[in-house]
Amino acid sequence: MSMRRIGILLSKDLSLYFRKRVIVYLTFIGLIFYLVIYFVMPSSVDETLKIGIYTQTAIPVISELDEQGLEIAYASSQKQLREEVISGNYTAGVSIPEDVMQPSDPDKKPVMTLYFAPDAPEEIRDAMEFFVKEMIFLQMGQPLPLEVSEEILGQDMLSTPIPTRDRLRPLIAVFILIMEIFGLTYLISEEIEGRTAQALLSTPATSSDIFMAKSISGIGLAFIQAVLIMTIVGGMNRQPFIVLVSLFLGAALTTGVSFFISVKARDFMSVLSWSFPVLIILIIPSFSVIFPGALTGWVKAIPTYYLVDTVHRAANFGSGWGDVWVNLLILFGFTALIFWAGLYVLRRKFQ
Amino acid sequence: MSDHAILVEDLYYSYGKIIAVDHISFRVARGEILGFLGPNGAGKTTTINMLTGQMKPQGGRAILLGMEVSKNVKKIKEYIGVCFETTNLYEQMTAIENLILFARLYGIQSFDAIALLKRVGLQGREKDRVQTYSKGMKQRLMVARSLVNSPEILFLDEPTAGLDPASARAIHDIILQERKRGATVFLTTHDMMEADKLSDRVAFMNQGKIVALDTPLNLKRQYGKRALQAKVVTAGGNLEDREIELDKEETAEKVKNLFSNENIATIHSREATLEDIFIKITGRGLAG
Repeated sequence: MSMRRIGILLSKDLSLYFRKRVIVYLTFIGLIFYLVIYFVMPSSVDETLKIGIYTQTAIPVISELDEQGLEIAYASSQKQLREEVISGNYTAGVSIPEDVMQPSDPDKKPVMTLYFAPDAPEEIRDAMEFFVKEMIFLQMGQPLPLEVSEEILGQDMLSTPIPTRDRLRPLIAVFILIMEIFGLTYLISEEIEGRTAQALLSTPATSSDIFMAKSISGIGLAFIQAVLIMTIVGGMNRQPFIVLVSLFLGAALTTGVSFFISVKARDFMSVLSWSFPVLIILIIPSFSVIFPGALTGWVKAIPTYYLVDTVHRAANFGSGWGDVWVNLLILFGFTALIFWAGLYVLRRKFQ
Repeated sequence: MSDHAILVEDLYYSYGKIIAVDHISFRVARGEILGFLGPNGAGKTTTINMLTGQMKPQGGRAILLGMEVSKNVKKIKEYIGVCFETTNLYEQMTAIENLILFARLYGIQSFDAIALLKRVGLQGREKDRVQTYSKGMKQRLMVARSLVNSPEILFLDEPTAGLDPASARAIHDIILQERKRGATVFLTTHDMMEADKLSDRVAFMNQGKIVALDTPLNLKRQYGKRALQAKVVTAGGNLEDREIELDKEETAEKVKNLFSNENIATIHSREATLEDIFIKITGRGLAG
């Protein structure tokens, strides 16, 4: 590998990239994409709430509530209840004290604790408070003096009001990174189909030089654009280093995805047809930020979830390394795997 | 240093069960033009790919300028120029940008792209994007690109396929100029006339094997027949063909009779073409 040749190939790649009018068309397609996403989103809401209950006293009426959009599950301990809420298995948890029916101290109200995940929507919190009071009323036939305490497990992201446009930051970051898939894939597939790669390989340039130049141009273009946009929208104000690391890993991830698609894509239309399904999948996690609680656990199987979540936490709540390191580690794992595998299949295609 | 620019020993390559190059051996002297002829699928391009280090031989070896290709790929690439069968230029770049890109990859510091483009007849269009070029112009640019590093060995894979006579002639002139400069030229072509005109020696390749390798003249002497062809006017006023094969015992007598007894309208000699010889050796034409 030669740094001089990599530099030459890199400047060639960048020069070709900016000569492609196709980027303008892609912006237009991006707008259509937003419309498509809007219409494919479900028009109705699944209102089933799974509520975990830990109670030290028998409340028979609870079993009667297990219908019409409510699913009641029992936790064996306070600890288990908290863990299930944190892992997202329960929308909310209710811890009912032993003296809820007969307060031991007439001057002191029994305290019923409600547990919520950090991203539980505000309306769920309101509904849960209503639910526990109604449950006690049904059981006793009259309202009881009761104090309801709410506990957010993890960092409370809903109590901090965030303007809607700031909620869009992770979506913008991911979208900018993903749009680079089109450009880079087109650049690589043209190199393969136009056999210019063969011409390059007839010179002292090696396939390693070519791949390194492609990797740098792909990651560089995606990263720089995402950083610029995030700076403009104020996403770098609170935890710039975490956001930078996230965007860099995201840029490498999308470059790896480009390598994969380049193996299949032959021309511009096939670049589009192969890229679109991937783009749609990768952008889905962004909606978990815009619409908290709209998506369930399966979204964590999509690598960009960890990018979106980290950018959201760091840019909107100022979360530190201690809060996001697991996310970054998983994102790094996904990125390394996809980048290496993409490079491997592309190298085979070149040969 | 070896006297031979190219030395090939027992070279072999197969795509699964299909044998593309079947244990071929040959040598090309420095400054020689070798015409490599054969129909589609004969194994010409696979041979070029192995000689230029783009494919690794599955058997045998190729030595260029005294260096074994598979062990010195990077070094060898500095001394060779390759013009591919299919156009593979950066179409959104200008002719000058294409040439400068490749010159920089070869590490050439001072490179006169304009002079090279003038040599191939592309002066005046050097700043136009390649996508606006005709096929002939693109092919000339391909040849120019293969000359960027003043190669010691020039590999030309069907450089004039599908070109108009003027473009083909321009490329022929460049090939002859390169030979004059001292370069060795490895030329694959379908065009027997082109091979006959340009090559010092020609190799016939068929089904992965070299079935003949010699100068065009020797091949014609060995395999072809020379003849005298005449059109004579009969008593009834019609034209009839007469052919007298040369180099036979009875040739002189037949020629004498022709001139004495026939009313000759036209007469000329005819030599075997390389295509005739190829068909005679392989039993098939070059088109297939």
